[in-house]
Amino acid sequence: MGRGRYFVRSVVLPVGVTVLGLLGWHLACVVAQAEVFPDPYATWLAFGELVDSQRIWGDIIASLFRVTWGFLLAAAVGIPLGLVVGWNTLAFSALNPIIQGLRPISPIAWIPIAILWFGIGDGAGIYLIFLASFFPITVGTMAAVRNISLVHQRSAWNFDLRGLELFRWVVLPAAMPQIITSLRIALGVAWLVIVAAEMVGMDSGLGYLINDARNAGSRYDLVVATMIVIGLIGIVLDLLIRRLERFDEVKWGYVER
Amino acid sequence: MTGGSGARPKVHFEDVSKAFDQRGGTLSVLEHIELTIFEGELVCLLGPSGCGKSTLLNICGGFERPTRGRVTIDGEEVDGPSSQRVFVFQEYGIFPWASVWDNIVLGIRHLSKAEQHRIVAETIELVGLEGFEKAYPMELSGGMKQRVEVARALAVSPDVIYMDEPFGALDSLTRLSMRSELIRIWQEKQQTILFVTHDVDESIQLADRIVVLSARPGRIREVVEVGLSHPRDLGSPEYGRIKNRLYELLGVSHSV
Repeated sequence: MGRGRYFVRSVVLPVGVTVLGLLGWHLACVVAQAEVFPDPYATWLAFGELVDSQRIWGDIIASLFRVTWGFLLAAAVGIPLGLVVGWNTLAFSALNPIIQGLRPISPIAWIPIAILWFGIGDGAGIYLIFLASFFPITVGTMAAVRNISLVHQRSAWNFDLRGLELFRWVVLPAAMPQIITSLRIALGVAWLVIVAAEMVGMDSGLGYLINDARNAGSRYDLVVATMIVIGLIGIVLDLLIRRLERFDEVKWGYVER
Repeated sequence: MTGGSGARPKVHFEDVSKAFDQRGGTLSVLEHIELTIFEGELVCLLGPSGCGKSTLLNICGGFERPTRGRVTIDGEEVDGPSSQRVFVFQEYGIFPWASVWDNIVLGIRHLSKAEQHRIVAETIELVGLEGFEKAYPMELSGGMKQRVEVARALAVSPDVIYMDEPFGALDSLTRLSMRSELIRIWQEKQQTILFVTHDVDESIQLADRIVVLSARPGRIREVVEVGLSHPRDLGSPEYGRIKNRLYELLGVSHSV
């Protein structure tokens, strides 16, 4: 009985709703007699065109390249910084106001400055992704450290853990589950931001492809196909980063305690 | 005196008082605690919730400072935590991100690998966790987690072990078996143990002496000697007599 219900719930239901959605999309195009906006079939053809022309691969690689480096740099700086600022009250008093002050500024707002400093190209993109990821990672790590339970802090204190040992045995592992969650959020934001950044300030990448398709003869079929590609890659990125949650050292952070 | 003939004084409370600053004044939690605990003794601090018994434990563990007076261990004043005086916590103080083995190795991480191996293996056997060396705390039952916690403390061979209602979160049957386990380990290791509880039966089952504290501000009402040898017969008349005395001191009626 369980197996049949599982099949209905996890296969029939989502696939059915997706098919219905596509049908609705198609019908809406017919009813509205849309000329510019593509129906599902046109989008499918556009997708084939993108793959055949080889162009999409270059743009995917360009976007992923910027996201990867910006994100890794942000993690390399943000995690250590968040650990120290979260643990050390002096560092917290000094740096938290600046971090909280810069955090609400959308990375998109930085685009003119990024172009001023790095020109049109990968440098500006990596810088923007760095900004987009840095704040979620740093703030998430800080919060994780400040959430370390009193009893674990006292255990550390009781067993004379100091300095680097303290970070290795307690602060880092205790914060790890929440750090991974903040990495996940940061990567999601990074993928949102890169598209916007490429639409405005770059001459390659999936964001640029969308803009280019619209400017070069209102090819909205290419626009929608690219949007779908962006969505699919976003899902894959999230699935990849979620694999970090499976390590024995962090599993405890994701179950009810 | 108690604690066996010729026992050495281990922990000494010299007129310890503790008050916390509060909105609109100070809250006195402990007043004039004067007490000596002897080497190898198992002493229970018994009192109602909020009487300051955990605070007293935190003070001799070095986590909190007394407002007045001082605590000495082997004649030296306690001025901070030390791995020679280990806490066994009420909630789980073991690290969920580390395996059983890594948790127990914590206090002896500076010893050679061979020494670490010998001590951890020995301790794991002592607390009955063989076969669970690689397990993570979330895979263990509450009783087993508490065994890990006890093992982590025993591994460093501390001068004193502080236990703050260590079995409070366990079900009553596990609690009972953990108590007899504790007695077995204590008899083997001859550790000095200071054990905080609000459970009258627990204190009679475990302690050489029971320090009964009054409601806040906590003062010592009486130190009750438990002259029973282990294993203790929970149905003996002497057990009942001590129980009645403790209920009387705590100001509650025995019969419900």
